[in-house]
Amino acid sequence: MAFGGWLCLLAPLAGFLAILLAGTRITRRQAGILSTASVFVGFAGAVIAFVDALGRTPEDRAELTASWTWLTAGDFRVRLELLIDPLSLVMMLVVTGIGGLIVLYSNGYMAGEDEERRYFAYMSFFVFAMLLLVEGGNLLLLLVGWGLVGLASYLLIGFDHHRPSAVLAAKKAFLMNALGDAIMALGLFLAIAKVGSLDYGAVFDAASSGALSDTTVTLIALGLLGGAVAKSAQIPLHTWLPDAMEGPTPVSALIHAATMVTAGVYLICRTHPVFEAAPDIQHLAALLGLATLLLAGVVALVQWDIKRVIAYSTMSQIGYMFVGAGVGAYGFAMFHLVTHAFFKALLFLAAGIVIHHLSGEQDIRKMGGLRRELPVTHVTFLIGTLALVGIPPLAGFWSKDPILAAALAQGGALGWVLYVGGLLGAVLTGLYALRLYFYVFHGERGEAHAEGHHGEGARTMTWPVLVLAGGTCVVGFLAIPGVWEPFEEWLEPVVPPLVAPTAAQDWLTSLVAVTLGVLGSYLAWRAFRAGRELVADGALRNALEHKLWFDELYDALFTRPAQALALRLRDNVEQPVVQRGLDELAEGTLDAAAVAGRAQSGLLRTYALAFAVSVSVLALVFLVVR
Amino acid sequence: MGPDIPWYLAVSSILFAIGVGGVLLRRSPLIVLLSLEIMLNSANLAFVGFSRLHGEMDGQIFALAVMAVAASEVCVGLGLIVAMARRRLTLDVDTLTELKG
Repeated sequence: MAFGGWLCLLAPLAGFLAILLAGTRITRRQAGILSTASVFVGFAGAVIAFVDALGRTPEDRAELTASWTWLTAGDFRVRLELLIDPLSLVMMLVVTGIGGLIVLYSNGYMAGEDEERRYFAYMSFFVFAMLLLVEGGNLLLLLVGWGLVGLASYLLIGFDHHRPSAVLAAKKAFLMNALGDAIMALGLFLAIAKVGSLDYGAVFDAASSGALSDTTVTLIALGLLGGAVAKSAQIPLHTWLPDAMEGPTPVSALIHAATMVTAGVYLICRTHPVFEAAPDIQHLAALLGLATLLLAGVVALVQWDIKRVIAYSTMSQIGYMFVGAGVGAYGFAMFHLVTHAFFKALLFLAAGIVIHHLSGEQDIRKMGGLRRELPVTHVTFLIGTLALVGIPPLAGFWSKDPILAAALAQGGALGWVLYVGGLLGAVLTGLYALRLYFYVFHGERGEAHAEGHHGEGARTMTWPVLVLAGGTCVVGFLAIPGVWEPFEEWLEPVVPPLVAPTAAQDWLTSLVAVTLGVLGSYLAWRAFRAGRELVADGALRNALEHKLWFDELYDALFTRPAQALALRLRDNVEQPVVQRGLDELAEGTLDAAAVAGRAQSGLLRTYALAFAVSVSVLALVFLVVR
Repeated sequence: MGPDIPWYLAVSSILFAIGVGGVLLRRSPLIVLLSLEIMLNSANLAFVGFSRLHGEMDGQIFALAVMAVAASEVCVGLGLIVAMARRRLTLDVDTLTELKG
């Protein structure tokens, strides 16, 4: 298992370094092939480890690879080690499998782009960072991967560095992520201070045995949640994700749908003993998830950019995962993560084909009637959309409904709020997802058509989409509630769930959720047929188009005060004190030098005399003082 | 047995004074260099004298080291003087004030 784990981690790193060091000695095509191959080798490594784990008893499936000491400071030491267990194996398979398909797709999508080599180097680097995050054997390695993932997303969002909006979006994503990293680092510092170790086992034992005070555990959990919220784009650190759509479409698919943003869910599942010891924080996670899924759902109703709609749907679906992880249904949350990776990558890649076909047009008002021009894309996009809405038997149905059922099983005020909110989210999902589908593929031909004749693109683009569509159709059958649940059983030894919905709750939830999803879809269809918008003009629509003023709020709360403070500091401190002080120092030095320079006559004999006199005086002093 | 130690020290002091006088009063770099050598050798004489007084070899060894340094110094100094002569500079330390501050 260790071999597979290391191979999985190091293959993408090797690909990244090879492309980086080869420079212009390899062609753009070769760079793409190298990157794709490196990620698929990583996938092979993950499969090797997976098969190895399958052959063992469930209790024996976790392995901490023996490794060497990385950092030592007194008693505190951190080892460079990998943790291969059912949870990280799931993530490894998703990251390298879906990631490999997306990198393969990039070969077609990015063809002819400048700086393709840089792009593929970054893609490999991203996959490596994400694997380090999920395979790291202790919290510090996880934080390292966490930070590198943020860096990779910065590099990829800002790939079009000549477009100011892309650079701004990259900066925004990086700042938000860095804020999350910092909060998480604070939590880890506290863990170092109180536990003295960042090993998973030590921290979890301390948290669940009650060796730590409630305040400490709560603060550590809050730190972890801060990191998770930033990385997973949940309220209140969610504003970077829609802007991140400035990156190339495969980047959106890879980072902002399939893998990176799900890291927060992974973190909560991985560190579940800490969250279970601080139930308030765990419930806070669920409530933040609920708020995000509703907010993203309503904002998505009025967006006109095809990628932004999908981005908001991502936020919304991750909200569901947070709800699941927040009530302790870790298996369901992880399963939704997996199915979501399939259908969201599918949606993004299909949207990429549409954008590619229309030579970069992303406004859905200018699309329409594409189902005849792009038949394959049309069908696959529809599959992705229906999976997103949760229509059986597609993937989303099997994974989203159990989360809601778990919320129902949780009971109490919290459970009911989550349940009702989640069902409301199902209606919204139907509305925005089908609205997007109808605008793009139905109705009159839009004005953007005249320019585009790319068709569905190269086979490297269509094949990954078809594979993902196939996956979306079948992956859901890995967890049929009450009948066949290999996925939950697989995760059970690592993350035992806190709640288990009964069969009745499952069926009831599925019935209601599917009905509501269909209702939302039907309303979207009626509105589209009538040519109406889902949200009528007015104050509400205005609010939604401004994304509920979160950006404006942060601007007023943080950016402007910070700028004003910086200006005042410049005028009152930097200019008068620092700048003037340095000038004075320089002038004083010059003046002193002018005086001292006069003593330097250049006459050798004067120097010798000064020397002789000084030595004589010193000799006299020594004689007298003795 | 030769003369007593004070005699050695007296000669050494006189030689040192002659050297200092030469460095301070003469203007030819060549003579200044010679005077420096006299000062160094006066110190050597004192070393050897004290070495004899204490019956130890340290002073003599140190004198050898000083001679080695003096020889190197003469090499550099004479090299400089030759270089100055080649560039037809006046061999007068009072006119060589290029490094005035």
